[in-house]
Amino acid sequence: MDVSFLMEVERRSQELDALDYFQVLRIESGSSPAEIKSAYYRESRAFHPDRFAAVESVELRNRIGRIYRRINEAYTVLRDDVKRQKYLAEVSGPERERKLRFTEAEETQVRQEQKQKMEEQFGLTPNGRKFYAAALKEVEAQRWDPAERAIKSALMYEPQNARFKELLALVERSKPKADPFKIR
Amino acid sequence: MSDEIAVGIDLGTSYSCVAAILDGTPQVLPNEWGERTHASVVSFLDDASVLVGNNAKKNIITNAENTVYSAKRLIGRFYFSDEVKKAQAVMPYRIVEGPNNSVRIGVRDRIFAVPEVSALVLKEMKAIAETSLGREVKKAVVTCPAYFNDNQRQATKDAGRIAGLEVLRIINEPTAAALAYGFGKDISQRICVYDLGGGTFDVSILEIGKDVFEVLSTAGDTYLGGDDFDDRIMAWLADDFLKVHGLDLRQNKYCLQMLKEAGERAKIEVGRDGVAKIQVPGICRSPEGQVLDLVQTLQAEQFNRMVMDLVQRTFKVCDEALQSARLTAAEVDAVILVGGPTRLPIVRQSVRHYFQREPLTGIDPDEVVALGASIQAAALLDTGAAEAGQASYLLDVTPLSLRVATVGGYTERIIAKNTPIPIEKSKTFTTSRDGQDRVRIRVVQGESNRVEECELLGEFEFSDFRVGKRGDVQIEVTFEIDSNGIVNVSAMDLESRARATTTISLSSGLSEADIQTAIDKNAEVELAGHATA
Repeated sequence: MDVSFLMEVERRSQELDALDYFQVLRIESGSSPAEIKSAYYRESRAFHPDRFAAVESVELRNRIGRIYRRINEAYTVLRDDVKRQKYLAEVSGPERERKLRFTEAEETQVRQEQKQKMEEQFGLTPNGRKFYAAALKEVEAQRWDPAERAIKSALMYEPQNARFKELLALVERSKPKADPFKIR
Repeated sequence: MSDEIAVGIDLGTSYSCVAAILDGTPQVLPNEWGERTHASVVSFLDDASVLVGNNAKKNIITNAENTVYSAKRLIGRFYFSDEVKKAQAVMPYRIVEGPNNSVRIGVRDRIFAVPEVSALVLKEMKAIAETSLGREVKKAVVTCPAYFNDNQRQATKDAGRIAGLEVLRIINEPTAAALAYGFGKDISQRICVYDLGGGTFDVSILEIGKDVFEVLSTAGDTYLGGDDFDDRIMAWLADDFLKVHGLDLRQNKYCLQMLKEAGERAKIEVGRDGVAKIQVPGICRSPEGQVLDLVQTLQAEQFNRMVMDLVQRTFKVCDEALQSARLTAAEVDAVILVGGPTRLPIVRQSVRHYFQREPLTGIDPDEVVALGASIQAAALLDTGAAEAGQASYLLDVTPLSLRVATVGGYTERIIAKNTPIPIEKSKTFTTSRDGQDRVRIRVVQGESNRVEECELLGEFEFSDFRVGKRGDVQIEVTFEIDSNGIVNVSAMDLESRARATTTISLSSGLSEADIQTAIDKNAEVELAGHATA
């Protein structure tokens, strides 16, 4: 193992906490998935701990281990399209310093956003979904009273669902105004 | 080159195999009678010596209570698990409860931890390698099913240590098979390893890019294997016998073992010849004292019907693995079959049908895992392989999500399954009471957000950090999964950046002292059946 490599390891392990994931993999910000994969293979060939398993120095092996764990962390985030986009936006923003590593907070956020999207589309509860679907059908047939009943039932199960509320507003707008004189 | 040597050991549920690199090519090391695979059966003899391997297998019937087989099904499990209950019902040896809900095996007047029994199989593998190579062997790479959890991996590693081996690495069986297939071939392919062993089923999807072996995903079922095929034949034979003679062969442990042996033989025969003639003379005696024989014929078609649902179950697991890898079955370039049961025509046909391609031939399903392990063993000893351009890099993943238990019986995911390893992730915990001086966390593995549906790995207690008002003290806990797939946990006071003391307050594994005692006991055991030992 030559001296220049040892110096490289030392330098990289020191600057690790100041690098973003693209820099960890030594690629341009916003590289494509194919570029990310090939960079991951290149860095694995250089820093895979197996290469150094028989090296005596524990310190060197620890440094390599730290670098390689970060390489895996970078790849795990960047290979996922959703996470990569979010990460890229954050790391290009003003809070760059704090956003170099994709933390659990961001993980949770991504998960919640995905979950929310799902919920908005389909509803959170089985009954909410059922009544929402029924309401959509009635709206299509322009049967406003049954539509209103169905969407109100759906909202009983999920009072916070924005999409449900939107549909209710639409139904209420579209519903012909009842003749006030007939109320009695 | 150093003059050190390291072997690769496939420690299987039913059979084990040992290999090493000789003159640059991986080769299986046979024992003194030329046998290349060895039954993972340990028989404790009258003279206190221990017989391991194919000869010990004969003792399952003649010395049933003192002969332990399929110990891998029990390794790293808790006493209350279903697998242990199931084993207690069918195994002729005694399975008892040890400290901390662990499993112990009772033979004669001794009690063994499960890794101690596996260590005897490894000791035999070590002896076979030493006889074959004519030199001492101290280091090894040992394989385990990809879907093994942390407890099972740790126990496998302990078994190696107890056998007097330095375990360089625990690697996944399908990954080892892929390595044996792609090593030195300079190929770029997506492959699927379909590994149906004696007790477990694993599937891994890999992308091979010349010298890099990237595991894209892995999935498995640690309760599905060739043994379940035997069980189906046994059940059929026993039901039939019950109908004819009014006697249930399963009620007697001796008859049960005869039945099991007949079932296994019939499975192999029907797979090879398309029909199996089952003949067990004198399997039992009727109440009138008449000696009864078991005579049956099993046709391939009938056998296929018996096991079709088991075969279908493997493809559910394949679906899962492909989905995680974001591939379709048609996008896989090659399929490698591993494990004895993949010799069965029903399995081969179904695999061909599922992947719409012929599985690779010319790979020995019993030996390929040990060969792959030996390649990795040699690579881990050699510092110069990379410079010489002979290295290969295994980029493996963790098969199960790592979680911590939270309030109300829920869990929170820390590291997702199919994340490349080694990896680390930190999470910050705060104290919930004034003056709190210790923090406890429970670490589990699994895909459920309910704690009772996950496998418990252990409970960690952190102390020796700053004591303050509640919510004031923040402790950063780092979870690391190493290259063996084994979990390490450490903690640090975020403000003072001082390391907190970590103690494991609950664990299924053996303590360091237990292992040391076991190493000494293992060293004393004499292996029977060898010319020089």
